[in-house]
Amino acid sequence: MTNLPLWLIPLFPLVATILLGTIAVVSSGGKKGAAEGIVGALAVLFPAMSFAVVAILAYGMPEAGIRETLCNWIDIPLFKADIGFMFDGLSRIMLLFVTGIGTLITMYSIGYMHGDRGFARFFAYINLFLFSMIVLVLSDNLLLTFLGWEGVGLCSYLLIGFWNKDVNNCKAANKAFIVNRVGDIGFLLGMLCLVTVGGSGILNYDALTSFIQMIMTAGHVEIVLPVLSLTGLLFFIGCTGKSAQIPLLTWLPDAMAGPTPVSALIHAATMVTSGVYLLARLGSMFAILPVVLDIITVIGMLTAFWAAMAGLFQNDIKKVLAYSTISQLGYMFMAAGVCAFDASIFHVFTHAFFKAALFLGAGAVIHALAGEQDMRKMGGLVKKTPVTACVMIFAFFAIIGFPGFAGFWSKDLILERLFMSGPMGPAFYVIGLFTAVITAVYMGRLIILTFFGEYRGSKESEEHIHEAPACMLLPMVILAFGAIFAGYLWADSIGITFFRDSLAPVVGSAQAYAATMHSAAHVNPMIFAGLGTLAALLGMFIAYKVYGNARVPAAKGSSAPEGRKATWTFFFDYVHKYCGIIPVQVLAWICDVVVDKILQATQWTLGAIATILGDGATVIQVRKVRLQVAFSVAGVAALVLVVLLTGGLI
Amino acid sequence: MLLHILVLAPFIAAILMVATSKEDPKSSSRLAFIFGLAFVALSVMLIAAGNKATDPIEWFRIPGTKGPVYYYLYSHGLGAWMVFLSTALSLVALVSARVTSCKNYRNFAIGIFALMGAMNGTFLAADAVLFFFFFEAMVIPAAILIAGFGGEKRREAAMTFAIYTLVGSAPMMISLLYLLTIADNSLLLSLAMALQQLPAGTQAAILASFLLAFVVKTPIFPFHGWQAITYSEAPAPLSAILTGAMSKAGVFGFIAWILPIFPLNMGIVSTMMWLGLATAVYGALMALRATDGKKLLAFSSMSHLGIAVAGVFSLSEAMLPAVLVLLVAHGLCAGAQFFLMGIAERMAGTRELDKLGGLAGNSPVFSTLFGALGVMSLAVPGTAGFVGEFTVLLSLWDMGPLAALVMGFTMILSAAYMLRFIQKVIFGKASGSYDNGPRTSGLEGASIGVMAVLLLVFGFHPAFVTDSLHLFDEEAVEQMTDAGKDASAEEAAEADEGDSEELPQAMTPEEIAQLDSSLKANGFSDEERKSLITQVVGAEAALALESRVQAGLDSAAAPTNEEALNKEASND
Repeated sequence: MTNLPLWLIPLFPLVATILLGTIAVVSSGGKKGAAEGIVGALAVLFPAMSFAVVAILAYGMPEAGIRETLCNWIDIPLFKADIGFMFDGLSRIMLLFVTGIGTLITMYSIGYMHGDRGFARFFAYINLFLFSMIVLVLSDNLLLTFLGWEGVGLCSYLLIGFWNKDVNNCKAANKAFIVNRVGDIGFLLGMLCLVTVGGSGILNYDALTSFIQMIMTAGHVEIVLPVLSLTGLLFFIGCTGKSAQIPLLTWLPDAMAGPTPVSALIHAATMVTSGVYLLARLGSMFAILPVVLDIITVIGMLTAFWAAMAGLFQNDIKKVLAYSTISQLGYMFMAAGVCAFDASIFHVFTHAFFKAALFLGAGAVIHALAGEQDMRKMGGLVKKTPVTACVMIFAFFAIIGFPGFAGFWSKDLILERLFMSGPMGPAFYVIGLFTAVITAVYMGRLIILTFFGEYRGSKESEEHIHEAPACMLLPMVILAFGAIFAGYLWADSIGITFFRDSLAPVVGSAQAYAATMHSAAHVNPMIFAGLGTLAALLGMFIAYKVYGNARVPAAKGSSAPEGRKATWTFFFDYVHKYCGIIPVQVLAWICDVVVDKILQATQWTLGAIATILGDGATVIQVRKVRLQVAFSVAGVAALVLVVLLTGGLI
Repeated sequence: MLLHILVLAPFIAAILMVATSKEDPKSSSRLAFIFGLAFVALSVMLIAAGNKATDPIEWFRIPGTKGPVYYYLYSHGLGAWMVFLSTALSLVALVSARVTSCKNYRNFAIGIFALMGAMNGTFLAADAVLFFFFFEAMVIPAAILIAGFGGEKRREAAMTFAIYTLVGSAPMMISLLYLLTIADNSLLLSLAMALQQLPAGTQAAILASFLLAFVVKTPIFPFHGWQAITYSEAPAPLSAILTGAMSKAGVFGFIAWILPIFPLNMGIVSTMMWLGLATAVYGALMALRATDGKKLLAFSSMSHLGIAVAGVFSLSEAMLPAVLVLLVAHGLCAGAQFFLMGIAERMAGTRELDKLGGLAGNSPVFSTLFGALGVMSLAVPGTAGFVGEFTVLLSLWDMGPLAALVMGFTMILSAAYMLRFIQKVIFGKASGSYDNGPRTSGLEGASIGVMAVLLLVFGFHPAFVTDSLHLFDEEAVEQMTDAGKDASAEEAAEADEGDSEELPQAMTPEEIAQLDSSLKANGFSDEERKSLITQVVGAEAALALESRVQAGLDSAAAPTNEEALNKEASND
């Protein structure tokens, strides 16, 4: 069964995109949209088939992976690239949860998007997204990964601005695309750097790995280190854009303008983790770049802390989750920064389950409250929507790292690796642990404000609160199971290392190289587990004390934070505004109002002079025959004179 | 024969169009459509046919020059693709203008055919005088069409356009005439040879006058004064042709005439490259502030062509295919965008961005096309624009990271203005009541859809475009060196290559052995190792081979790598 071709995996969502896109365009003219049953069935069926193919391939995959070159893509002098796929330990895990969770969330969306005018269009976009994401993780070279990379960005743009009647949604979508574009330029330039070092063949991951090994065995690392460090930095800029790290993170909170399943799928589970994926994929290169690794760790740490704090200040339930996503991504980057690529991917994996569950739960809450997102108007929902509440509480335990839940295993592992990472390790560890406490506080706040206490909304809206339909609940429940049990694929303390072993062929050698660089004292892993548990409990306790019985201030108008909280939340928006947007606007103003006007004036002056000269000449053109004859004679004489003097021009 | 038909038949078609009725657009539009379709088919055949040339026919003699002027056409990949753009965009323009209630469709079609003939002549001429003749002839039908069918300020626009571009190429005419008094004839090689005999100062003056003509036509900052008003006042189908095909004449001139004739020094090359980049940034910034939809597209076009010119003067080996793909992508994409903007203007009755909006709800098919082409113009991977921009970026990277950074900045800006454009036109709510003019007709939508599909096809398989490129390939260089037997020809060829010393060195057999052993150490099986090395070596050998042949060197040294590889294989 393992001889299934790899291109089948991206093919299914692509076919679905074309089918659904056609349906969407054809049915757009009519009064009613296309039948939701057929559209929904198509939309779920194709990703499910992809998932099936991935599962079959994953089961029978040889340890070295499967490689397949489909055809040539670009072939010009100096540059050659192929369209080829690579199915190995890393892409196996990524693909399993991308297609798996993708299918679940598509199923959930059928309920969530029920009755929307753009039903078919929505699923066309979702399938296009899955196609791009699959290409991103399945590709065997950087250029094709970039196709997926910009493809997912494009789909993110399309889906954030899905409800395009509201200009604010469109602006959020534009922002997401443009900020991502900045990162993408980093990615592009990074590829060019690599091509300078080793020709276009090096964009292939296998070739890159062997190239790095070649220079390491030959001892030429110092020679290429400056260029490679620049390359690493440029790729990291790309990752900060896609994975919402400092400084390119402002788009993700705004991206919550899109439908909630989109937030769950794209802005929590899959797309935003592609930066982490890229770091792991290029692990062999990053492992020899100590400076870049340090930068990654520090950026990840700052992001994790900053976003966790910002999460405390939000009133919008989706915004809390958005900042929480940024914070968790910060953890993954910290892990990647200390060369613990397997731990970071493990956190990507567990995070996909619990964060998707949280988002879908939030979606169910919003659905139940007919679009209300402000947590100050919620409360006491545990009685009205028990299943949603259970799912979210399980996921809550997972994200804060409560012992036994998925997040516990992965977060603990990251903190342990941080501690072991050399002289600065303990400092990183402390900040990571502190952030874990804050995580528990803001998540506790979310759960308490939403599900406990008294309902704070209007009386008439209370009667309409209802549990979500089954097709929405089923994916949530499955994801909740994932949030509990996904961690047991790599439970170090009870001796399960399945996850690490399956990633070892890909990132093992890079990590082994990094491990030789610094050896830390051995600490009993149970101490880390204990401290992690303590952090979670402490955070929960604080949340209970502060928010458990407190009176929530009545909601006024906007759910955006105010005052000092706003300054903290929008700090990087201000940075972007003053360092990016305003300078460009000033430049554009100078071009438009100064330079262009000067050019126009010059042009006009020249034209005017010509006109005036012409007008002057017409004065001579009046009916003075004698004068004209005189001019003609003079002209001929002048010509003859010139010819004689120059000795014959012709 | 194909060449003759493509250049002369449009004029005949224009004359035949006179026979149709002026009042009844039905019959004339049918005839025009059939003609247009035939020309597109012919241009596709031309691309498929590869390099082709007609027999030179002596046309006339300019008094005082040594040799005659030939009516001599030849086609190479670049010219053939430009001809394709000109015929394809003309066809869509004819289709699109049918729905826009033109008062006098017949005359519009006559103008379009005349313009098409002149453009085809420009792109296919092998003789400098013939080239110049067509280069100038393009302006006249275009200006007449603007004056006859344009917007409110059409007369002003037509005058600005005609005078600016004609004045811009006047110095070129004089210096061409001067060159002809020295050269044997007006073909490329003899012009290049003649130029060698001149003192450096004169050479520089001639170069400047040639550059000026192409710089104005493209247009390059600061000679873009005619562009915005012309593109915005011209009827949208004509704007599409102007930007999609006619503006390419400038870039085409740089590649096909400047580079082979003039021995360029680094100063001029880098000046031109930076001018191109300045144009790109300037156009993007102006587009950010534009309030008129067509002006925004005009500036966007200027920005992209600036990148193309910068790419041309990066003079890397990848330059030619890169720029060609970029030009084809831009021609199709910007052309289609102008058509769509024309439709928007027709439906809404305005092209002010602030008065537009909400078209997504009104006409979904139009909006789908509009959004799709807008995104494609951002060079998203998988579209032809990406292949073009990425490879041009690669060429610029050779000239220094700063140039590549500036281009990267332009790419960010392009996202900013294009997304704003899309948002303002199709998203949000309509800010007022619209005229409700005729909607997208089936044929119109389909033809724009085909352009979008072509962009995708070329994005995934750019070999369609790059493989047809035979301008400076082995044969052409060999012909030049054979025919020339003169230092000038080689110098001209070398001028094309620029810094050909920095060829990527192919891997030595030792390195391959080392790579092989390190792969073996990592547990790759024999077959995998072999295929991997074949990939790496094959890519490098091909590169080295091509670059050497291009430089006109003896290419015997290149296959050594493959021999080494075969030995490796037999050792295993």
